[in-house]
Amino acid sequence: MTDLFQVVPGNSPLHRMNPVTKIVLTLAVSVAAFLTDNLFVLLFLLAFDLMIGVVGGVTRKAFSIFKGLLKVSVFLFILQALFVRRGNRLFWIVTDEGLLTAAAVVLRLLVVCLPLALIMTVTQPSDIANSLVQVLHLPYAYAFTLTTAIRFIPQFMEEMSGIMEAQTARGVEFDTKNAAKKLGMLLPLCVPLLISSVRRTGATATAAKARGFELRTRQSGYKRYGFGAVDLMGFLVSAALIAGAALIR
Amino acid sequence: MITAEHVGYAYRGNVRTVSDLSFHIEKGEFVALLGENGAGKTTAVKLIAGLLRPTEGRMTVNGLDTAKTRVSERAKQVGFLFQNPDRQICENTVRDEIAFGLRAVWGKKETERIRERTDELLEVFGFRGDEDPFSLSRGQRQQVALTSTLAPRPAVLLLDEPTTGLDYRECTRIMEFIRRLNETEGTTVVMVCHDMEIVLDYARRALVMAGGHLLDDGPVKEIFRDAPLLEKASLLPPQIVQIAGRLGGEFAGADDAQTLSSLIAETAKKKGERA
Ligand SMILES: Nc1ncnc2c1ncn2[C@@H]1O[C@H](COP(=O)(O)OP(=O)(O)O)[C@@H](O)[C@H]1O
Ligand SMILES: [Mg+2]
Repeated sequence: MTDLFQVVPGNSPLHRMNPVTKIVLTLAVSVAAFLTDNLFVLLFLLAFDLMIGVVGGVTRKAFSIFKGLLKVSVFLFILQALFVRRGNRLFWIVTDEGLLTAAAVVLRLLVVCLPLALIMTVTQPSDIANSLVQVLHLPYAYAFTLTTAIRFIPQFMEEMSGIMEAQTARGVEFDTKNAAKKLGMLLPLCVPLLISSVRRTGATATAAKARGFELRTRQSGYKRYGFGAVDLMGFLVSAALIAGAALIR
Repeated sequence: MITAEHVGYAYRGNVRTVSDLSFHIEKGEFVALLGENGAGKTTAVKLIAGLLRPTEGRMTVNGLDTAKTRVSERAKQVGFLFQNPDRQICENTVRDEIAFGLRAVWGKKETERIRERTDELLEVFGFRGDEDPFSLSRGQRQQVALTSTLAPRPAVLLLDEPTTGLDYRECTRIMEFIRRLNETEGTTVVMVCHDMEIVLDYARRALVMAGGHLLDDGPVKEIFRDAPLLEKASLLPPQIVQIAGRLGGEFAGADDAQTLSSLIAETAKKKGERA
């Protein structure tokens, strides 16, 4: 789980793409997914997501993220299927429309989440921040907040597993089957997690200030984020996805 | 008390971190686990604690196979002090913190017994009980963590770098307490420690690890005199042992000295004999 947000280095077209283009592409896929109700279009978008993984040279990762999301999806699918009351009853309380709606919801979830996770695995968070500052003129403080939050996720998860280990050592039984009991055990752990997060945030802020955080401007980064052929491709594909989804519905 | 039989461990998807670890520790021993960073010491103590289950071989503590023992059962036997006390502490007062560990091990119903034990420990460690653990100093937090670890009177106490980041006084206080526990209650202590002076002062036996393997196992004094072994494990013996070793040629017997005063007394004696 902890390596979910770790960046895989490489030199694929996706790695070379301007981070802003990647964000545009991700947004385009999401917009397309919400424009259409057509299951085939959604399936096509899902295939496109996995293609992004292949192009980025992170095929295995793409499928492992896909598998992880699939578990949530099954749960969501069942819930949706049970709660939609419209349409013709197929069996028990499940209707045909329920199944179709559930499928659309779940596919949308997959289509939207997958590229987000994939982009994160082929882009350094600092590149996302710096390109947002340079290209879109976003104030650095906001970009920094965004990327720091992303960067802290794996640390946060590691901290959590460390805390759970420490509590297990003290005799707290996390391996219980009782969900309510488990929740009761997890709650006290939020305290050390919160404390360590606040401490870390404070330390990061101090370190950033000590190194002249406030002096930073749009020109400060040494790396330039230009647009090339891959970016043109990216924008064209983005436009095509949205147009296609809007036309086919 | 603790028996490791050809224990190997690999973190998921990684190569082996610990391999072919075999040793036996008797009840009441005070053992130091030595080795450079990444040697596999933490992994080894976690294996003893049953927090990790051997991927090869067998680990038994008090006759129980750690791979087959329930968390609660094992926590009664083994106390584990982590490198970072903040991962352990999760209550708002020192009193609640000590009681938290006791409740987890003894069960919630034992209120009277838990209260008594908590009062006793608060007094021993000089806490009022209503302090907020998170506003205490790092050394004091370490003490709170230690107190709650040993509260249920575990037969085995595992300490992962218990003195790192403590000042001299805090360090001595914690170590003296552990020594008393070891001597009076016969608690078995296994301690990972980078401070060789402390190892010499408190531990009687040392296990030396390098690259996940056990290099040597023997009395601390002998280990510290084995220069090639220490070299291999990237360890530096305490200065007193180094000085005594150098003087050894001239003043035979002085290389047994463990403290500066005994070294001075020993060399003075030899000098007197010669004059
Ligand atoms: N959770 C983990 N997952 C993968 N590898 C780990 C994990 N914890 C430790 N390691 C690796 O195992 C080796 C030994 O670590 P550790 O037992 O912590 O050594 P020590 O405590 O002697 O410094 C190191 O190379 C470390 O990178
Ligand atoms: Mg360690």
